[in-house]
Amino acid sequence: MQLSMEGINSILRQYPSEQRYCLAIMQDMQRQYNYIPREGMEALSEYLDCPLSSLYSMATFYKALSLKPKGKHIIKLCDGTACHIRGASPLKDGIRRILGINEDETTEDGLFSLELVNCLGSCALAPVLVVDETYYGKMTLEKLPGILSQYREEQS
Amino acid sequence: MTITINGKSCECEKGEFLLRIAERNGIEIPTLCHHDAVEGQGCCRLCIVETVTRGRSQIVVSCVYPVEKECEVFTDSEKVRRERGIILRLLEKRAPDSPEIRALCEKYDAPRIDRFVKADSGKCVMCGLCVKACAELSVGAISTVNRGVAKEIATPYHEPSSVCVGCGSCASICPTHAIEVKETKDTRIIWGKSFRLVRCRRCGAVIGTEQEIAMAAERAGQEADGLCSNCRQMRIADVFAGTYGN
Repeated sequence: MQLSMEGINSILRQYPSEQRYCLAIMQDMQRQYNYIPREGMEALSEYLDCPLSSLYSMATFYKALSLKPKGKHIIKLCDGTACHIRGASPLKDGIRRILGINEDETTEDGLFSLELVNCLGSCALAPVLVVDETYYGKMTLEKLPGILSQYREEQS
Repeated sequence: MTITINGKSCECEKGEFLLRIAERNGIEIPTLCHHDAVEGQGCCRLCIVETVTRGRSQIVVSCVYPVEKECEVFTDSEKVRRERGIILRLLEKRAPDSPEIRALCEKYDAPRIDRFVKADSGKCVMCGLCVKACAELSVGAISTVNRGVAKEIATPYHEPSSVCVGCGSCASICPTHAIEVKETKDTRIIWGKSFRLVRCRRCGAVIGTEQEIAMAAERAGQEADGLCSNCRQMRIADVFAGTYGN
């Protein structure tokens, strides 16, 4: 989603100008752009007549909100107990070898971001990898390149 | 109603905070995050005391504990000393560079504890007084950023704030003097932003920064008179003297 002031303003206008909506608005921006752009933070501060500092405090507090641009596809690698034991760490290394990113980082082409999560509640499928909304259970290092290139091809 | 603190009976209203009652009666309770201008922090936990209500003892945080029933309070019991000692040592590990906390550890004889990991450096105990002071007295230029061990006090995006007026309320309210203010003859630098200082047109004492004075004048709805509080008092006294004679 291309960043534009019209886009940001149309998110803002869906809510009344009251401070209690600030988290909902930030979540909407996060969903729209995969991160909260600085322009969005500043516009929100003005719209709600609320100091930028308190919005910044919230945005840095919640893990679900990001102030840095995230990739088009979010890879969530489960590192809960079951997945950890069944080899989440080698998978993390595998992703680093293929994409060159560690956790909380984004590839240079802006295609992938990697997040490490604590449990997805799918322990029977351990180790689990989720790309956007798709679950990949009983993951192995061998399956990894195929899955990732699928998203890459979809792009081109 | 009446409660007893360390054996002394003290008059109080129902719902009054325990710390306030103790202060009024000259009973000392150590605090860090408490300040009359911004109440209800209750986060440093240093002001804990023991209350005994109908034989039941409990440790409470006196700055945010409203007295509801008659009770006995002990500010320096064995239990208080032990728990306060641990709190002090934890604060000391968090802010190892703070002479204030080191002095409190000595004053209240905090026990040596080796199992806590010490932070590399710092004076801040993350009480958030500065954030509240800025939001309530000034403009809300700073806030807590991040969470857990990475939590810190900072301006948005760690850049010089566009709204900060350089009043220095954050620094002067800080119990451990953790906020750096650099002041030369006519500038003040705080949170990475430089401000020009204004001096009293009569005696030359520093009144504040240009932005701070402009903000105060706007809020008061009148023009700044360019005087420090002493000279303003003197001028008003002169007016009175002129009006009523000697």
